[in-house]
Amino acid sequence: MKLIRNIFLALLVANSAWAQYSVIPGEAQSKPILLKGAVAHIGNGQVIQNSIIGFDQGKLTLVGDATTARVDESGYEVIDVSGKHAYPGFILPNTNLGLTEVSAVRHTRDNQERGNLNPNVRSIVAYNTDSELIPTLRFNGVLTAQTTPQSGTISGSSSIVQLDAWNWEDAVLKMDESIHMNWPSKISRRFDFTSFSFQTQNNKNYGTQVDELKQLFSEAKNYSELSGRPTNLKLEALVGLFDGSKILQIHVNQAKEIVESVKMAKEMGVQKIVLEGAREVMLVKDFVKDNNIPVILRNLHTTPSSNDLDIDISYKMPYLLHQAGIKYCIGFSSGGGTSYAARNLPFTAGTAAAYGLTPEQALTAITLSTAQIIGIDDQLGSLEDGKDATLFISEGDALDMRTNKLTHAFIQGRKVKLTGMQQELYEKYKNKYGHGQD
Amino acid sequence: MKKLYTLVLALLLVQIVQAQETFPVNDVKDQRSGTYAFINATIYVDYQTKVENATLLIKDGKVVNSGANITIPRGYTTVDLKGKYIYPSMIDMYTNYGLPKVERRRGGFGGPEQIQSKTKGAYNGNEAIKPEYNAYEQFEPNDKTAGGLRKAGFGTVMTFRPDGIARGTSAVVTLAKGTPNSVMLKSAAAAHYSFSKGTSRQNYPSSAMGFVSLLRQTYMDAQWYGSLRDKPFTDKSLDAWISNQSLPQVFDTRGWRAFVRADKVGDEFGVQYIIRGNGDEYKRVSLIKGTNARVILPIAFPEAFNVDDAIETSRLSLQDLKHWELAPINPGVLEANGVDFAITSEGLKKTSDFWPNLRKAVSNGLSKETALKALTSTPANYLNMGGILGDLRGGKVANFIITSGDLFERGTTIYENWIQGQKFIINDINVTDHSGNYMLAIGSNEYPLEVSGKAGKHKMKFKVNDSTDVTVTAKLDGELINMTYKMKGQKGETRLAGWLKTKTGADRGWKGRGQLPNGDWINWEASFASVLEAKDTKGSGGKVREADEEKGRVIFPFVAYGSENVPQQETLLIKNATVWTNEADGILQNTDVLIENGKISKIGKNLSARGAREIDGTGKHLTAGIIDEHSHIAADGINDVATNSGMVRIGDVVNPEHIGIYRALGGGVTAAQILHGSANPIGGQSALIKLRWGLGPEEMKIRNADGFIKFALGENVKRSRSNNSVRYPQTRMGVEQVYVDAFSAARDYEKEWNAYNKLSARDKANATKPRQDLAMDAMVEILNSRRYITCHSYVQSEINMLMKVADRFGFKVNTFTHILEGYKVADKMAAHGVGGSTFSDWWSYKWEVRYAIPYGPALMHNEGVVVALNSDSGELIRRLNQEAAKAVKYGDISEEDALKMVTLNPAKLLHLDDRMGSVKVGKDGDVVLWTDHPLSIYAKAEKTIVDGTVYYDLQRDLELREQIKTEKARIIAKMKGAAKPGGGGRKPFGRDVLEMECETLVDAEFWNH
Repeated sequence: MKLIRNIFLALLVANSAWAQYSVIPGEAQSKPILLKGAVAHIGNGQVIQNSIIGFDQGKLTLVGDATTARVDESGYEVIDVSGKHAYPGFILPNTNLGLTEVSAVRHTRDNQERGNLNPNVRSIVAYNTDSELIPTLRFNGVLTAQTTPQSGTISGSSSIVQLDAWNWEDAVLKMDESIHMNWPSKISRRFDFTSFSFQTQNNKNYGTQVDELKQLFSEAKNYSELSGRPTNLKLEALVGLFDGSKILQIHVNQAKEIVESVKMAKEMGVQKIVLEGAREVMLVKDFVKDNNIPVILRNLHTTPSSNDLDIDISYKMPYLLHQAGIKYCIGFSSGGGTSYAARNLPFTAGTAAAYGLTPEQALTAITLSTAQIIGIDDQLGSLEDGKDATLFISEGDALDMRTNKLTHAFIQGRKVKLTGMQQELYEKYKNKYGHGQD
Repeated sequence: MKKLYTLVLALLLVQIVQAQETFPVNDVKDQRSGTYAFINATIYVDYQTKVENATLLIKDGKVVNSGANITIPRGYTTVDLKGKYIYPSMIDMYTNYGLPKVERRRGGFGGPEQIQSKTKGAYNGNEAIKPEYNAYEQFEPNDKTAGGLRKAGFGTVMTFRPDGIARGTSAVVTLAKGTPNSVMLKSAAAAHYSFSKGTSRQNYPSSAMGFVSLLRQTYMDAQWYGSLRDKPFTDKSLDAWISNQSLPQVFDTRGWRAFVRADKVGDEFGVQYIIRGNGDEYKRVSLIKGTNARVILPIAFPEAFNVDDAIETSRLSLQDLKHWELAPINPGVLEANGVDFAITSEGLKKTSDFWPNLRKAVSNGLSKETALKALTSTPANYLNMGGILGDLRGGKVANFIITSGDLFERGTTIYENWIQGQKFIINDINVTDHSGNYMLAIGSNEYPLEVSGKAGKHKMKFKVNDSTDVTVTAKLDGELINMTYKMKGQKGETRLAGWLKTKTGADRGWKGRGQLPNGDWINWEASFASVLEAKDTKGSGGKVREADEEKGRVIFPFVAYGSENVPQQETLLIKNATVWTNEADGILQNTDVLIENGKISKIGKNLSARGAREIDGTGKHLTAGIIDEHSHIAADGINDVATNSGMVRIGDVVNPEHIGIYRALGGGVTAAQILHGSANPIGGQSALIKLRWGLGPEEMKIRNADGFIKFALGENVKRSRSNNSVRYPQTRMGVEQVYVDAFSAARDYEKEWNAYNKLSARDKANATKPRQDLAMDAMVEILNSRRYITCHSYVQSEINMLMKVADRFGFKVNTFTHILEGYKVADKMAAHGVGGSTFSDWWSYKWEVRYAIPYGPALMHNEGVVVALNSDSGELIRRLNQEAAKAVKYGDISEEDALKMVTLNPAKLLHLDDRMGSVKVGKDGDVVLWTDHPLSIYAKAEKTIVDGTVYYDLQRDLELREQIKTEKARIIAKMKGAAKPGGGGRKPFGRDVLEMECETLVDAEFWNH
């Protein structure tokens, strides 16, 4: 029996990626650290050319200009990062990271519960801190994520996690913070073979689908106001929306649906509303602006959704929203989860900078703005005193793949290991071929 | 009255029953000659011969004679048609009249594959090949359908069953009443083909390119099978196919690309199809003309969209808006370009739209003569039936219509449609024009009555006290009249019944008795007073004729970002740029590059050239054009599904209207390999194209390029995602066997052919000729290094396996594409000499890419493998320069080598490096001017130049956007005017491009139904 167990264990070891055994979460910060000389990109638009950044017990204690600040360096572990760049950790909103390992393999998918209305399901309990995708994100500076369920009309609750943890309890920064609603679309698509392209057509069920949502929300509202009702997990999960303790993230793309979904949520008394996707937001930009609804954009690296659109429409969406005065941040969803590619999040911000934004504005769109929109800006999003010491150092401009090269990363002050399975495989085969050994 | 009606009906019935000698009679014999003389008519004896004051004689359902000065023999009923017109009746050579509806079979997608045909009997191995079907076997006259067509003036139709790629034969029938036997003029009239497999649920073929391949193979099989004296098997489909070849060959196509595609198939086998067009031929009329095909042309013009909703209207595409505006010019454009065509009513939502649409075509450039020809003599000739149909000369079938005037003028009425001598009344010919001002006397009151409108459709109203209008509902029924009206303030209606006094003359009018609302009976009379005054507003000077209206121009390609004038080749001198040569010179600062006649002619400092357009490159970077080794843009289909799909060719389905081309140009791409997908171990043949946006499908192709073919390994080919798949192979073990089997068979095949080809002519005559197999031909080409493999691949075991199979059969694998575990066998790849075209950082989207690493390109490169970075995506193709930058980030490749991975190296892998891939004198003028360092995220392609032609320009792009905006606004404004009041019109729809990648499987039939 024991033998069998040992064999089984051995198999497990051989089978699951061995990289996990070398990817070990950093130890809690035991000593204050001082980073000297970096070009500090604060995240709020400011840049300090020659900075000094100090942190202790996981919190930033000092962010200043090295040319003027006077710091007693004794007691600090001082790291010279002159000529390099310091950034707050990038934040990835609305992702299936940790829930889906290999999207094509059903066994590794935990992002989609069955059923249509699932406000009660919680992503955090399925979040896999040992996902091998995580090191690849950290490698490029993504240090925080909103792990999100993704199916049905209401998919459940997301949680915010930091990307260097032993288990989901260590990982969680904010639990069950948003409810996710996939608003139905008025149109569906039909393939037209003659022109070999899609034609949109009406979704006949739209009215019924919307009505179902309205009923759910009004029942939830009633549930929150009356006591002594039999427990209903679905309704209970929605209660936080009415007192503002939870955010409603509405996944919606079309213009009319944007208006209708926001109106419905407001009528029902939802306090905090965030739009995700919002591809046609520019058609109703004043509505979104007047109602102060922030927008999480999807992966900018996508083709325009129809032939006639400006070919760079996706690339310049952040700039258009900026001009329109709408609060926004840049996400990496493509409708479903593509967390395997989310290491490219910083480069989508780079694209936004190439198409209208300044680099610092683009940076804000994946740091401070994201933190504000998903409700964690008290802890994260910028290099400011009192916030978590979740930051990294790059050799160059971290928004450009040409220069994004991390040398150090810290999450809550812990030194984070940047490499993972992919780097180890690289080393393994470099050794095999004798590359780089002249 | 009712009695009279019944009597007329009875007479009609007697008349139409035509006895057939071989049929039993259940009455006494009642055979009649139907001798009529139509006199004093304006007769179109044929489409171009108009005879005034002419006579038409018919007898026994045939024309006896027609023309002027004809003596009427005895025994003819004379019908005076003074002021009326006679035309040969219309022929529609594209209907399904009288045939059972083809029931679509559901399912089949996602379920277990159907590899074999399920047709019962000794028929073809592919269910979509049904040449054995004959319409005459199932034809049954249908009076309801016939009635609609007769109403529109049709007398004869060709009817076929729309099912299958080879659809069998059609019949030509008249729309007369009778038995199938009496109305059928020709039993096997034409053989029909299409690019739609209809009810077939057999998997292959599932793409446009598969349809082409299956047709080509079937032509070859039929030739081979027909030539064999001792047939090795029975195939009744091929027998039928062979005998059908003597008939007119009719091909159904949907869209101009399919039109041209079908013609190309015909050209290969010496067949000139008559092609059912789609109404969009004006978009590429030069290509349509070039086919020399005769055309069956639908006139189903698109309905206006409802443009009341700003948001929904914003989704309308330029192509759909422009097509709405331009579709009516299509027949006229074809006529002007000398394309011969017949017109069909097929495709119309309602047959009653036929004349309004045809008249619209006439007011948009189609001549009346050609229109009439296209409905009479042209279809008759296409059907080889000019001897009995198409005009009204002696001996022809007596199929003609009587009209109130010129058929092509608005308001002309068809009165009667005579078919095979049977009379069908469409509108009463005896209606009289009663319009005029009358004095209406009712009891003691008198009112001025106005009778307006056309004969048979009169409107009436009278005035009370010279002010209040009272509308009268009038029913004119020959000699009788019924009128009702309601006076203001009165309860109930007054009803007048009466009769015509006389039809013409000053004393014309009606009189009779009537009943007032209170029940009193009174006398009434309406007496003619004067003729109506002509109204100015709707007269000749009023409404602008459509043809005079402003219309947009045809753009190339016919989608957004197309333009009226396609960019032209120029002499270009790029001055003072940082030039990445990809050659020994490396990166040259402040350098000029001259491009002349499509080639790079000079590289140096301070160059000048007379007549050259100078482009300032200061602060900018010039590189060779980006080449994507692995793309799926610009094709009407990517995957077919046979395990060995080596016979299908992307080259058959290049789509130059795919917006992905323009977007890729915007990313600095100048050339690409359009690959078949990865649904099968042996995929189809590639097309190598340059992104010449605006040109036709053939012009996109790179001339004299080597042939390539897609192979694929791994999860896709074993159908891992389909739980129900039954297709062999299901494992990587089986995949190897597919290859070994294919190449072994190809060797035997080649041997067999070599032996046959060595025979003397006499021995050949006695020998059994081997069967030509298109898939085997491709395999033989691979064995002989005349076609090169690009193999989609992921894990190291299978990569190694294919190299070993290649070694065994003595050829080299040219490229492993995707090749995500190539880094694990980079040494073996280098030894084999195979290149790697890979993703920079894709991984973990499926199990077999679990160990893909972004260091793969560097590891392979450093091991001596030629490495390219590819896109497989309509998005990534726009940013391949950034993918190159990732090879620097992951793996520390030099920037120059990294850029080569998207320029020179793919050129090498595609055997195009002698003319592309670097900035070198003599190479093609395919270059990109970048705003910034080309590997930087901040770099944009400012100009993308192909063959010295600027196909993309950042500034021009902005102009095109503006043009799209204003053109759409103009058409939408016009559409608003054209839409029916009350929110009518089509619901607007958007048009989204289909983004294709390796796994895109678009089953034509699935999507269509």
